[in-house]
Amino acid sequence: MSNEAEGLADLHWMFDMLHHIDVGLVVLNEKYEVQLWNSFMENHSGVSSSIAKQQSLLSIFPNLDTGWLRQKMDNVFGLKTPIYISWEQRPNLFPFKSYRPITGIANKMYQNVAIRPISSPNGAIKHLCLVVYDVTDIATNKIALSAANDKLKRLTSALSK
Amino acid sequence: MSTRVLICDDSKLARNQMARVLPTDWDVEVEYAENGQEALELLSASAFDILFLDLNMPVKDGYETLEALQSFSQSPAVIVVSGDVQPKAIERVKDMGAVAFHKKPASGEELRTLLISLDLFSADINNAQPAVEIVTAAEQFTLNECLQEISNIAMGRAASVLAEMLNVFIKLPVPTVNILEVGELQMALDYSVKAESCSAVSQGFVGSGIAFEALLIFSDSSFPDMAKLLGVTENITRELETELLMDVSSILVGPFMTAIGKQLNIDFSHSHPVLLGQHVTIADLINVKKATWQRTLAVEIVYEVENYQISCDLMLLFTEDSVPTLENLLSFLVEDE
Repeated sequence: MSNEAEGLADLHWMFDMLHHIDVGLVVLNEKYEVQLWNSFMENHSGVSSSIAKQQSLLSIFPNLDTGWLRQKMDNVFGLKTPIYISWEQRPNLFPFKSYRPITGIANKMYQNVAIRPISSPNGAIKHLCLVVYDVTDIATNKIALSAANDKLKRLTSALSK
Repeated sequence: MSTRVLICDDSKLARNQMARVLPTDWDVEVEYAENGQEALELLSASAFDILFLDLNMPVKDGYETLEALQSFSQSPAVIVVSGDVQPKAIERVKDMGAVAFHKKPASGEELRTLLISLDLFSADINNAQPAVEIVTAAEQFTLNECLQEISNIAMGRAASVLAEMLNVFIKLPVPTVNILEVGELQMALDYSVKAESCSAVSQGFVGSGIAFEALLIFSDSSFPDMAKLLGVTENITRELETELLMDVSSILVGPFMTAIGKQLNIDFSHSHPVLLGQHVTIADLINVKKATWQRTLAVEIVYEVENYQISCDLMLLFTEDSVPTLENLLSFLVEDE
């Protein structure tokens, strides 16, 4: 009895952690239907978990480049290997706002996204997991740095003329 | 009369592994060759019944050996044992006269089944003793040899995934393993990339005391053909190049690492791949002056796609403090089999 209660408690804190971690977690089945939608995804998208769970990921965000994203997900299913999407190729895959709209310089959240295959106990890949990282600070710093470098280059070349 | 078997592989570890998994109750006489040239010399001097042949070898590779064997009046049954599991590689060797293909590393049970199905071996109860003298001392293999062989197997797996997705044939080289100083790494990259401008992606891996970076470098002249290969018809913009880089690196590095991790029995943690630079020179990638490390253990693999102008350089760069752990792990790998 106590073992069972302990197991439940373990599950409870594990789930609490997954739900509140500051990283977006989405699990999809083969029809791209949402199986798990953590609070990061709920709060940033404004779509609650109970609503998200009945739908395909592609229909939750109408402005998503669906053909493109579907191809990425199909590759993960087909090749059984993770595929990474960097903020440098798609700065804002999901239309989320930045965490610091007042003191920050970006309005939108820059994201790195990893799409990983999840294997079921028999080894078949029936689900995949999207992990969404907020990289707004890194991206804005890098953009500012390269802008400063460009400016410096222009100034030095103007000086040497 | 005992069956005469020739094992041809450039890796001592692979030759030894192959000899170990031969059925123990088989009356065989085993000889070894380090490359196709050596094998052909042995085969023309005396007749062998079976040849276990690797594909990626220096001097004369497996394909060239198969081709040369076609002019032999009395040639052995050739079983290709290779890490290159691309469907086209398998098809190609069978067309060239190999009786079977087996993925590397072969297990005793699989090999036994294969040999029985080919009618090359039948169990002989009267002769139940080890067929070959087995080298057990792990010290006989250097770190470089072990690392080269596990990279070889991992590289084949990765190429097979890429080949399946793109329906092409990936040419696989022999991986090189070296300890490099900071300046030497830059020289090595300069030598193999041979391009004035290149783009690179790096992904970090860490697990069980081993840390390394997988650095993938493309010469910028590869982009038009890369776009063609991935079915992209749009104009090549900087964003599109990033997209191509991220996709190819995901597909190439992921399966490679899975295969390495499986062999070493480590579930590595890894970073998101980072775009190191676009249209930069090698010197911009590896900053010799700012480097905080002194030496790195480097495994280098140059992938080329047949009929396309695409070449990319995959470098696994291990930190110096990973080397003792790696050595220890690999010695277990050799002993275990």
